Amino acid sequence: MGDIDTADLWDLSPVPTLVLSPACRIERVSNGFLDLWKRQREEFVGKDVFNALYAGSLFERFDRIPLTRSIEVAIDTRKVQLCYSACSVDGTSWSARVIPIFKNDKLLALVLGWELVENSLGDAAVDLAHNMLSADETFRLLIQAVKDYAIFLLDTRGYVATWNAGAELLKGYERTDIIGKHFSTFYGEEDLRAGKPERELEICLRDGRAQDEGWRYRKDGSRFWANVVITTVYRNGVHVGFGKVTRDLTERRNAELQLVQAYEESAKLKNDFLANMSHEIRTPLHGMLSACTLLLDTALTPNQRDMADLIAESGQVLLQVINSILDYSKIVSGSVSMSSVPVDIAGIMSSVIRNVQVRLRPEVHLQLDLSPELPKAIKGDPLRFRQIVQNIVDNAVKFTEEGWVSVQTSVVAEDETTCTIQTNVTDTGIGVQVTDATVQNLYKPFIQLEQSINKRFQGTGLGLSIAKSLVELMDGQLGYRPNPTRHGSVFWFTAKFTKIPEKNVEHETSLQLRLKASDEDASSILQRLREIAPRKRILAAEDNLINQKVLVRMLHSFRFSQIDIVGNGAEAVSMLNDSSGMYDLILMDISMPVMDGFEATAKLRASGVKLPIIAMTAYALAGDMEKVLRNGMDDYIVKPMDRNVLLQKLLKWLDTTG
Amino acid sequence: MPNKDQNDESRDGNMPDLGDAIDILTFSQILEMDDSEDDREFSKSIVYGFFEQAEETFDKMDSALKSRDLDELYRLGHFLKGSSATVGLTKVKDSCEKIQRYGKKENVDGTPEPDEDLCLSRIKTTLSTVKSEYADAEKTLKNFFNST
Repeated sequence: MGDIDTADLWDLSPVPTLVLSPACRIERVSNGFLDLWKRQREEFVGKDVFNALYAGSLFERFDRIPLTRSIEVAIDTRKVQLCYSACSVDGTSWSARVIPIFKNDKLLALVLGWELVENSLGDAAVDLAHNMLSADETFRLLIQAVKDYAIFLLDTRGYVATWNAGAELLKGYERTDIIGKHFSTFYGEEDLRAGKPERELEICLRDGRAQDEGWRYRKDGSRFWANVVITTVYRNGVHVGFGKVTRDLTERRNAELQLVQAYEESAKLKNDFLANMSHEIRTPLHGMLSACTLLLDTALTPNQRDMADLIAESGQVLLQVINSILDYSKIVSGSVSMSSVPVDIAGIMSSVIRNVQVRLRPEVHLQLDLSPELPKAIKGDPLRFRQIVQNIVDNAVKFTEEGWVSVQTSVVAEDETTCTIQTNVTDTGIGVQVTDATVQNLYKPFIQLEQSINKRFQGTGLGLSIAKSLVELMDGQLGYRPNPTRHGSVFWFTAKFTKIPEKNVEHETSLQLRLKASDEDASSILQRLREIAPRKRILAAEDNLINQKVLVRMLHSFRFSQIDIVGNGAEAVSMLNDSSGMYDLILMDISMPVMDGFEATAKLRASGVKLPIIAMTAYALAGDMEKVLRNGMDDYIVKPMDRNVLLQKLLKWLDTTG
Repeated sequence: MPNKDQNDESRDGNMPDLGDAIDILTFSQILEMDDSEDDREFSKSIVYGFFEQAEETFDKMDSALKSRDLDELYRLGHFLKGSSATVGLTKVKDSCEKIQRYGKKENVDGTPEPDEDLCLSRIKTTLSTVKSEYADAEKTLKNFFNST
């Protein structure tokens, strides 16, 4: 052995042989290989084996799959692998024997020994059915006869070796058109770009099977929804190709789509129906309730009074039920929008607690625990937040017959721009019998967990499901756990709010400080406003001449000299469209002829006007303030206007030096 | 702007006889806007302007009532509500608000009232009430301005 140059052994071997580095770079090429393949040594040595063998083929990325896989397996198992028909040269197929050479645990080299595939003559079309893959005659007839499934036999690299009559019918190709073509021809462009066909072969080699549903294309370009199953085919342990079964599921898919559509439509109809019915019921109910109130004001016998009370009470319950159904259908249809205005968490919590006090049983104690860290300067939807709290607290009070209900609110997380606030409502009520099923049911619409025979508790079962949807709209979560100390429940929810940037906060608080002011400060506010007023221009929309006069007079007394007055919203909009840059502030009456203040504000905001808009309104109910802010206005002032309030509001929005 | 103390005096001194038809605080705010207490040019123009507006509006309400035009009654009610509030005629303002509600086919508490005949008959009653409330206020105010 001593005299033999082992390297020469490979070169001189009559077996066509390639020696690869562990990175699959070709180190040596045997003379036999070059002779048989009629190639030059320079075409191989030093090159990546896959490039050297497959570069230039249209289906390069498929051609390399079987050899790649065989090499992987050979390295993993350290055993010789036969890669059947790994490569085609001038119409001749070659199989590669992959020999991994290890020293201890280190891969030294890979040796590829090539051998001719018997009978692999003919064009690229290798009719494998007649050689390596020839099927038993009976099975061949069976497969041929199946018309509803397209059955293909692909070679190791994905070229069609043979197919059945079903495939001809399904794909619209003639047998002669397709034999030897690559199977990726049937895929759409998008799938090809995404590398879907090669991925399917790779999965198939790894797992033995790959399945897919998607659009496939016929010869005439029309498409069908196909279910495709690809299976690796082995013969005597050697991978010789892929079996591919394709089924046309276009009809089934259409039926499925129709079902989904029908379902969505019926869900929508249901919600529309609920919303319409609730609305229609509410109108006469209001009539009944007001009639009942009038009735209660008349002289009644104790018996009649009891009955009238009962009518009023039941009517109120019915009204609540209908309102929550309306709410629910609005949420389901996605027509609930969240506002973003300053929120006073502590104020809302206290007010909910005050309201619920009347429904509290005398044996039940109610307590509120507000964290002192609750932020003051945050924005969100105060109405929706209140609705959630109200809902959960109402529930706790409703289901608690003795003991206590405790409400606790604190900050659980915050970052630079947002703040998450958690509220826990703990009670000593009936609790919830928690199983997986009931937890699911908790938030389902129209389901009440407490289903005892005499149904002690009234309600639609919509409360929690509304609350949960609203919480989700506030980027929060709602959850339940049993009361840890005794019988009862803990319902908790989180809600995310946006922080108001600090600069504005300082402005606001410093202003509030000034507003708390004694008379001396009041005159300093007036002084300050009088300093800036001459440089400011105000547009006021107000339809009543008397009010116009008084307003102008007040503004004059603050030293405003540039004041334009218009009689309705439409005029305000056109004034601003012509010269929006000229004004510093808008005073806007709500009810005006032609175009009201809300509509005008919406138009102005939509066209990008960012000026402060202060509503002037005779509405004075608590909710109206929120309505004004929700409609894009910045502030409001109640009519008849108090001179000092107007003064403060004007300074607040005009004094930018704050 | 007259100085504040002076006005406070005038408020105490000149207005105890305005009665409950007029909201003193709102009305005095208008008086404060006068350049001079001697002629009360501004407040007088406002108040007399309001008289004119009120009488015109009542006429329009009468004819709207005749033609059963609830929308117009709603609009007129709202219109006069605004100015009567500004001048401080609380009772007139409250009645205008009722007319506004009835015109919108609502009850006083804001619940819907589909019966148009009922709404129209309520407006008719309220309109005669508001006219007499207005007459009282007008008399008081005219006295006030004649005596100053």
